[in-house]
Amino acid sequence: MSDTAPIQTRQFPPPRAAYIHVPFCRRRCGYCTFTLLANRDDLIDRYLLALERELSLLGARQEIDTLFFGGGTPSHLPAEQLERLFEIVWKQFQLADGYECSLEANPADINAARMAVLRQYGVNRLSLGVQSFNAEKLRFLERDHTAGEIYQAFELARESIENVSLDLIFATPQDTPAAWRADLQQALSLSPAHISVYGLTIERGSTFWSRREKGVFASPEEDAERRLFEQAIDTLTQAGFEHYEVSNFAQPGARCRHNETYWRGGSYFAAGPGAARYVAGRRETNHRSTTTYLQRVLAGESPVAESERLAPPDLARERLVFALRMMEGVDITAFQNQTGFSIEEIAGRAVAQFVEWGLLSRTAGQLRLTREGLMVSDSMWERILAV
Amino acid sequence: MTQIARAAQIDCQHIRNFCIVAHIDHGKSTLADRLLEFTGTVTRREMKEQLLDDMDIERERGITIKARAVAMRFTFEGETYELNLIDTPGHVDFQYEVSRALACCEGAMLLVDAFQGVEAQTVANGYAAMDNNLAILPVINKIDLKHQRADEVAEEMEHSLGVDQDDVLRVSAKTGAGVQELAEAIVRRVPPPKGDPEAPLQAMVFDSHYDEFRGAITYVRMMNGTVRKGQKIRFLRAGMTREVIELGQFTPQRTARRQLQAGQVGYLICNIKALDDVNIGDTIVDAADENAVALQGYEEPKRMVYCGLYPSDGQDFSELRDALDKLAINDPSFEFEPESSEALGFGFRCGFLGLLHMEIVQQRLEQESDVDLVQTAPNVTYEVTKKNGEIISVHRPQEVPDLGDIEEFRQPIVRVNLLQPVEFVGPVMKLCQERRGVQHGTEYISTTRVMLTYDLPLAEVIYDLHDKLKSATRGYGTMDYELLGYFPADLVRLDILVNGKRVDALSVICNRGDADRRGRAVVKKLRSEISRHMFEIAVQAAIGSRVIARETVKAMRKNVTAKCYGGDISRKRKLWAKQKEGKKRMKSIGSVDIPQKAFMAVLDTGANEK
Repeated sequence: MSDTAPIQTRQFPPPRAAYIHVPFCRRRCGYCTFTLLANRDDLIDRYLLALERELSLLGARQEIDTLFFGGGTPSHLPAEQLERLFEIVWKQFQLADGYECSLEANPADINAARMAVLRQYGVNRLSLGVQSFNAEKLRFLERDHTAGEIYQAFELARESIENVSLDLIFATPQDTPAAWRADLQQALSLSPAHISVYGLTIERGSTFWSRREKGVFASPEEDAERRLFEQAIDTLTQAGFEHYEVSNFAQPGARCRHNETYWRGGSYFAAGPGAARYVAGRRETNHRSTTTYLQRVLAGESPVAESERLAPPDLARERLVFALRMMEGVDITAFQNQTGFSIEEIAGRAVAQFVEWGLLSRTAGQLRLTREGLMVSDSMWERILAV
Repeated sequence: MTQIARAAQIDCQHIRNFCIVAHIDHGKSTLADRLLEFTGTVTRREMKEQLLDDMDIERERGITIKARAVAMRFTFEGETYELNLIDTPGHVDFQYEVSRALACCEGAMLLVDAFQGVEAQTVANGYAAMDNNLAILPVINKIDLKHQRADEVAEEMEHSLGVDQDDVLRVSAKTGAGVQELAEAIVRRVPPPKGDPEAPLQAMVFDSHYDEFRGAITYVRMMNGTVRKGQKIRFLRAGMTREVIELGQFTPQRTARRQLQAGQVGYLICNIKALDDVNIGDTIVDAADENAVALQGYEEPKRMVYCGLYPSDGQDFSELRDALDKLAINDPSFEFEPESSEALGFGFRCGFLGLLHMEIVQQRLEQESDVDLVQTAPNVTYEVTKKNGEIISVHRPQEVPDLGDIEEFRQPIVRVNLLQPVEFVGPVMKLCQERRGVQHGTEYISTTRVMLTYDLPLAEVIYDLHDKLKSATRGYGTMDYELLGYFPADLVRLDILVNGKRVDALSVICNRGDADRRGRAVVKKLRSEISRHMFEIAVQAAIGSRVIARETVKAMRKNVTAKCYGGDISRKRKLWAKQKEGKKRMKSIGSVDIPQKAFMAVLDTGANEK
């Protein structure tokens, strides 16, 4: 597309990314508020049917560069149903050369049969929900694997898929600086291509929320949590990882391209319960209840529960905020070309203030978060978004 | 002959004008209801609970704010009498209205609860009634109570009010016991009004209210002469001439009459569109009477307490003004004028008779309009004599001249009566001493109850003395105060700085000796009210350029969403935008969001730190 195309068209080219939500898990962990069903494997077949129906509405087969299977736990599907999942998705999407196809997996689910299916259908990136190597912490997080199983799963996965990412959680009551160092070191010892570290977020609706309210456990203080986060950033970057987004670290060349599409304001298809898509400038979210999703789709109704199209300046602000969550920041000129708005116009005052306070830095035409800004960035976004 | 005509013929000998002086909750309204019922003025079925208190807020608070006047008929020993009950406000903020109501009566019922006994307010208003030479009818109410201690209370009344125990009437407004005797006592013991129906007209305005259809309803006590429908009258103070369109009495609803004559109590409607044209204490005379003489005792309403009221969102300014205008129509003692604050933008400086009056006005504003308010800490009016001899009234801290220009700084001092059971005398004395009180007297009104009298700065009284008294006496203490005058004091303006910027709306005037303690308390309170920001916030208290206290709101350490992928974008964007919306209800000073209630933080006297 040429640079002279109207901004609307430049802004909303057809998606080159797709997300598939697989809402099944063996069990729900205490901190989880995602769209999923535990112990309802009886619904998998209906889900596959509904997914096929939903995807068929997209019409002609589309070529895409990145595809992401998330959940839930996609790896929870037995090999045979996993195969059917891929058949259904592949019917709709054609992966272009140099594609990235990611799938979220639980260490306990990794076995030869499943790995064979993944390899056969071209999955080339695995995101492994390790969370920790510490037995007590794993128990606290209500995970169903042991540290030993992580090693086995990792070895087995690596036999077929080179690009494996590990998820780690910090800020549990078990996370002393020493315990967290051990987790980080063990993760590094596996030499994964990518590591995501997430501060434990306890949201209303999770069982952790009510347990913490009742005082069953306490989250670390703000200061301690910050030190843990900084410890992770320092440890991983020293080990050669690039800190490229708030919670994401990659070996050179191993960033998750699919997620970068989200953060850069790119378009993407999506299917499955609770899945969110961004197509032609409209953000839509499917119904979060899996059973409602199934009923609606199988009855020939739309699964969409929420839909919005932002006014151009709001869209530009949204884009600015999510792009700034990437550590390399925003190219000021490119931003204006892409959105039709200068940063000055849509958030000039806030940005100037953040630069003055040392929360943003502006160098060589690039606006980016400083370390200090990163730590308190949610408070910055409020000021940019609410005008 | 019609009722109206008959009513007009009553002479002074058959009129009794009286009021009821009582503490809150001692049963004044219930007793008034019983009298209305007993005299057949209102039947039980017509009786709304507490008929006289017809404003919602009054009922909620169980206090009477505006005076009312009701005419009743009572036949005794073959003669028919007109009993005019003039209801008085029970609270000290409305003392001037009380004084005008007293001036319209020949008798006052001092009503005391048979269990709670004499309270400070009863004493204060009781003495005021005696000062007005009213006949006193001491009455003990609630004798039906299981825990009544009427004998002791009669003794208390003797000691505190100097009444003869044998003269004390005992009633139960609830059951009606003693009400007949009470009505008889009113006829026998309250003298008839003096005044000549044939003399030139003189009527005292003792209250008013606003009727949206008829305009101002003026409450009058006829002192001399006769007023008739259609007559041209003149309000001496207001210099306003009007025709009487309707006149009559409250029975208790408005009932039109042909005339009102000396001794009677009633209302006039004369096409007055704004209540502030009707001055309480004004004298009404015949318009043609060139030599008319004003009755004594008129005073301008004294606003004792001021505060700033600001819309929390600047756009509501005109809405707030409309709401204040509407309130002022019905309450001439409330005044307001526009002011602006660097910190709060455009708002109004509002003057009130006292703290309760202020609370009532605010509550009405909230109930009757949608304006979200930021209120600054209330302050009293000070007087300053400048070095150049000029005397100024200071209604807000920002108006205090530079220290170097001040010759003398004066503050209002009030005499406070505090009445409580003996065992609480120690804590109450401590309370008053902490507030720079000077003890004036101690009086045992019975073996178990003591009245302390202190002279205190009004500023100390309005902040929290009443609440503190209640907590120091487990609720048994009561207080009342009257203004003594303005006296010099070593006062300073205490400023609050947020990140080096003076927040004008947070300045207070206080005694120099208290400034350190107040300053420390205020900055500490502010520290806890202001949430962590992205930067460190210094909160300082200063006198002039000298910083006397400092607290720091530490910068936020970590506030960052970990997971943010395709499905989170809409949700997070909305969440962040909404959080900021929530903060819009705060006032942003520089870049610091200050919650509304922090503007009341300056009331924290630091007394708990001692």
